[in-house]
Amino acid sequence: MAPLQKRALYGLVFGVIWAIVIVVVFILKGGVSTFNDDQGFRLIIDGLWVGGLIVYLLLFETIGRKPSLLDERDRLIMAKTPKVQWLAVIFSLVAWVIALTESYQDAGQIPVIFLYLIFMSIIIVSSVAQSVGILIGYWRMESSG
Amino acid sequence: MVTGEWKAVGSYVIKNRIRRLRFDHNEMTQQELANLARCTRQTIIAIEQGKYAPSLELAFRIARAFEVNVEDVFQYEENK
Repeated sequence: MAPLQKRALYGLVFGVIWAIVIVVVFILKGGVSTFNDDQGFRLIIDGLWVGGLIVYLLLFETIGRKPSLLDERDRLIMAKTPKVQWLAVIFSLVAWVIALTESYQDAGQIPVIFLYLIFMSIIIVSSVAQSVGILIGYWRMESSG
Repeated sequence: MVTGEWKAVGSYVIKNRIRRLRFDHNEMTQQELANLARCTRQTIIAIEQGKYAPSLELAFRIARAFEVNVEDVFQYEENK
């Protein structure tokens, strides 16, 4: 397994756990209404998602600085991952729009805090999709030929 | 002896003799070749198996590692 492939696998496992932890903490602490009112709750969620983002940055940025771990084949695969990230982000936005529209159609307005939640979820989805994109790239390359 | 075969455009294939050349060069390991060609061992494996066609620059570096011409390592042939 190539070093980048290994990191993508770790990234995927970490990303799934990261997302589950955030969702579970968010639900257990009271959801949207509490999130809006409780600053301590917001700081916990901020810490979780910013912390996870830093882990992702360390995982993929540090490897780029070690030429022995990353060569042209890895760069070729990495160059194609934005396509997967873009698709994942678009699908997430579609899900958010449909869910919010259906939930708040009658109210005629959406709590502002959702802007923050949408942004946070997009960052998480995009990070996890990067790992998925890299793994798909290796899988496709290894199954060709 | 050709060891790998990458399906190129149309009915052409890119074949390579890397495994044979490694054997002929004191049974050079894939890692040793990767170090000489400045790429990862996994890329050498992928090229040997015909699952990846290297860039022109990497092809030159691999040929230089064996002290031969690129055409001695890679062949662009019609698929029969």
